[in-house]
Amino acid sequence: MKRLFDFIKSEIGRIILSIVLFATAIVFERFINIYAGLGLYIAALLVSGGAVFVGAVRGILRRDLLDEKFLMSIASIGAMIVGEWSEGVAVMLFFLVGETFEHFAVRRSRSSIRALMDICPDEACLLTDNGEEIVDSEDVEVGSIIVIRPGERVPLDSIVTLGSADVDTSSMTGESIPISVSVGSEVSAGYIVKNGVLQAKTIRIAEESAAARILSLVENANENKSREESFITKFSRFYTPIVVIIAILVAILPPIFGLRTLNDSIYTALTFLVISCPCALVISVPMAFFGGIGGAASRGILFKGGNVFSKVAKVESVAFDKTGTITNGNFAISNVECFGVDKESLLSYVASTESASNHPIAECLKNASKTKITYNSATERPGEGIIADFSGTICAVGNARLMSEIGVDAIDSKNAGARVYVAINNTLSGIITISDEVKPEAGSAIQKLRALGVKRTYILSGDREENVKLVAEKVGVDKAEFALTPEQKYERLEEIIKSSRSTMYIGDGINDSPSLARADVGVAMGSLGQDSAIEAADMVVMTDNLSKLPESVLIARKTINISWQNIIFALGTKSLILILGLFGLANMWLAVFADVGVAVLAILNSMRALRAPKMK
Amino acid sequence: MKIKYTITGLDCPNCAAKLASQMSLIDGIDSAKINFLTEKLTVETSLDEQTADKLLSNAAKAFDKGIKIER
Repeated sequence: MKRLFDFIKSEIGRIILSIVLFATAIVFERFINIYAGLGLYIAALLVSGGAVFVGAVRGILRRDLLDEKFLMSIASIGAMIVGEWSEGVAVMLFFLVGETFEHFAVRRSRSSIRALMDICPDEACLLTDNGEEIVDSEDVEVGSIIVIRPGERVPLDSIVTLGSADVDTSSMTGESIPISVSVGSEVSAGYIVKNGVLQAKTIRIAEESAAARILSLVENANENKSREESFITKFSRFYTPIVVIIAILVAILPPIFGLRTLNDSIYTALTFLVISCPCALVISVPMAFFGGIGGAASRGILFKGGNVFSKVAKVESVAFDKTGTITNGNFAISNVECFGVDKESLLSYVASTESASNHPIAECLKNASKTKITYNSATERPGEGIIADFSGTICAVGNARLMSEIGVDAIDSKNAGARVYVAINNTLSGIITISDEVKPEAGSAIQKLRALGVKRTYILSGDREENVKLVAEKVGVDKAEFALTPEQKYERLEEIIKSSRSTMYIGDGINDSPSLARADVGVAMGSLGQDSAIEAADMVVMTDNLSKLPESVLIARKTINISWQNIIFALGTKSLILILGLFGLANMWLAVFADVGVAVLAILNSMRALRAPKMK
Repeated sequence: MKIKYTITGLDCPNCAAKLASQMSLIDGIDSAKINFLTEKLTVETSLDEQTADKLLSNAAKAFDKGIKIER
């Protein structure tokens, strides 16, 4: 009995019951007794629209007369009063059916996005002194040892301490090719272990994991509204009051001039009210962006808000940082020339000096020698190098600009690659050449961007002319700017931004934050661990694969297209039916379709944004 | 202080915006934002958590019986 009651209370139950009552009412009205018919109509109306009437009263109590429920109630009660009984019930019945569809569509898109985002397991298998124990991921402390078996997802960011396996990183990076991990490799929450059992030591708590950070980026993304979204919000603010005023005029004016009967004109005005509900518009546009954000995230691309889509969609200039962005940033010493010192001690000075630096090139120099000397002080000069003082022995390691600044003549080397000059006590003591590889996909990614309508591509680099030109030629960018200090880089970027409709800047985020923030679209690549880069960027690409860039343009264009389709479709249908209504050609049924039917179709259209297009 | 809730039972984004603007009128609630699609309510408040919970869930109930918030 209780189950029957619950069913009747559910949306589907109410729809069925009121359809039955409605059908019986029509039969009674036509063939049996008109008043019994009316009674049944009212019963059907209460079943389908009871909740709506209650909502309307609540709306009135909070002085919110332009509420959807209020408009629907007025329309259906109005239709009953002017004698259009069946239409009065039909309005509510259709409204209920439409709402049911709408709720269903919203629920479905929410759950598909949630499924996309449900990448962190809630439980972790913790290794304790008493064996294995299943605990909530949230309760696991940093430094605990966890066990991950084949087929399971890594619950927390950690470092492998035992075992090796292939892991599927696609939920985090959008890359379908599994990577191999072994002792010492970092694994992120969300990776799936394909084979082999891993033991790993956790390095972050659950809520700080990379996956949790992605989730919160996606969840908060909607706060940065796109132009399309703001347009629709502003529009609906004017739209509903205007339609209500027109409806009142339509009801009053024709009868005053004796053109129509009051009943007819009120009926027309009521259809107007039904059409005027703005919900279809207000729901469908944000829904498209939401879908786009979810779809892009499944490919390892994070858009930080709806507003980023339109800028990415019409990108005209693309500027790249070179090191670590176009090249893969794995520097290696390719040659060492010594002047007046032996190689061993030269490298020992260099390694010790560079240990004070965070520059990407410093990494390989730091490891050049195991014999480290402690320095007394060290000063880093951005874009030039670093100078350290070893109790009186001054060692300067950097580029030619640093050398000329300290008055050392930097002679050229015949070896290709980046040159690092070493001056000990203001005498040139060595030239170390370092080379870096161009990422294999860089050339094709730039070509694809061009095919998508990007007009100008740049490399902005602090590196030497011949190195930058070599890379620029290899990957085919239009213009290579070299030997820029970070300040000059920013100024050049500013000029590029001024000369084009939308400019994308791609950096690895290490010292690029101002440029990332300044560009129309700042893209941080492969730097999910870098908070400052994530903060400054508009778009974050989880891998350092450059082919994600053309892909992001495609995704953005598809999403923007869908949102405009929705705006045009919803506005078009509504205004068409409004005009028909004005001439008395639209009935209630059509009006209800214009409200909920349009909303459902627009939501279904928005769902397409979830499927991110692939670049061929 | 920032408090985050999960909010369920909202009908449409329009209603979500209206409820949010009503919530931000409550004394002690500095701002209230509702994301309809992610079903998240975020408030900035000077109130302690229990008081905020109570005031906000009352406001939600007064708006529509079916709306529930949960921290």
